[in-house]
Parts: sequence; C-alpha cells; structure tokens
Amino acid sequence: MLIRRILTFKSLEIMKLILAIIRIAKMTETKQLLSDAGLPSFTAMSVVGRGKGHGDLEKIIETAAPEHRELISAVPRLKSKRMITLVVTDAQKDLAVETLLKANQSGESGDGKIFVLNAIDSVRVRTGETGDITLD
Amino acid sequence: MYLLRAIVRPEKSPVVMKALFNAGFPAVTKLAVFGRGKQRGLKVGDVTYDELPKEMLMIVIKESDKDFVIETILSSARSGEKGQFGDGKIFVTPVEESYTISSGKRD
Repeated sequence: MLIRRILTFKSLEIMKLILAIIRIAKMTETKQLLSDAGLPSFTAMSVVGRGKGHGDLEKIIETAAPEHRELISAVPRLKSKRMITLVVTDAQKDLAVETLLKANQSGESGDGKIFVLNAIDSVRVRTGETGDITLD
Repeated sequence: MYLLRAIVRPEKSPVVMKALFNAGFPAVTKLAVFGRGKQRGLKVGDVTYDELPKEMLMIVIKESDKDFVIETILSSARSGEKGQFGDGKIFVTPVEESYTISSGKRD
C-alpha cells in the first residue's frame, strides 16, 4: 500500500484512527471496557445520523394516532448518537475493535458502526513528542 | 472505501442529505462545527466573526461511488450557480476497515 511505502523512509510506525458511532446509552459501558482493556484515551462528540434501514419506523407508525400516520415521513429520521475517536497503535487495533464490539453489540439495528482509518502521526501537545510513544 | 467529510452551510445540510437520500445514499452522520477558511471569517463593520457555524456531514462510500457522491454534494451544497465563499469543502480520506456493530461483522 502506498502509505506504508512512504513511511518506511521515516519510521515503521503506523497508527490507526478508529471512529465509532455508538448509542448514547452505551457510553458508560464503552468507556469502562476500553479503560479495562488498557485503551482509556478517546474523544467523544455528539452527532446525529442514520443508516440504511428504517429501524423503528413500523413501531412509530403502529403507536401513532391514525390521523397522524400519513404525516410520518418514510425518510429515516436522524437519531442522536455519540461518535468516539480513538488513535491506537497498529498492534492495538484489533483489541480496540473487539472491545468496542463487545460493549456495543446488542444485535438491534442502530447499534452503530466502526471505521478504521490510517493515521500518519500523533503529536503530544505538552511535549511536542511524536509517534507511538504518544499513544498511551 | 472512502470517508467523505463535507463541511457545508447549516441551511444547506437538509438539502444535501435529501439529495443523497434520493440518489440512494441514506446513511450519513452529521455534526455541528465551527470554522473558517482562507477568507479568515466575515467582517461586518468593526466586528470580525472568525468562527462561523457549519455542519459536517460524514459519509462512508465505496470507491466506485465516490465521484458520484462528491458531485451530488457539490451541486446541492453550492449556493447559487457560481457559489460563494463559505460554501464549504469536502475532504476525502481512505477507510481501511468498516464494521457493523449489530452483526459484529466486518463490511
């Protein structure tokens, strides 16, 4: 892969940036399990979004008053989620993904998604250090 | 797979999302952000607004869909025909892996 070839000139350290979009209610357990796994560092953001499915549309239509049913849009609604960002070493990537799956997998649609991207470098603001040593 | 991060005007984000939905791309994540571009914000009289509210739309798509989705976003997010400063930017980054949490499987 092109990115790996460029990096062999500088260093062999490749990091992974993991974006996980999860249910808000799962934040506490996710934080706990990540911390237990030795990956306590993350950044969280409040986001809204939707996936491909219609999720609870049928439930909403069922429980709505008959006169409101035709007003319910067929377009999937935007749901509040949390997006957490972790940057981990290449070697820790599988552990991070497994931990996130373990904390968040309920089997229902709306559990979320995990995306793994490559990160070129990481810099600690306090000291200016770069590389894997900044990923604690 | 690519991650598209489109920073658009807040009033354009429903327009962009509707265009994407109609084009067959319903999945999107949206967040409120602030920022500025090369113009360094907006100057109104004595006041400089150097952090302007925008919305970031995040979409992950296959390589084969990338050009079409980018074009859909560009045409729906542009203000007017020629566009203006502040219309935003789209950043494209490769995604190595993607997992659906409910199934636990890699996509």
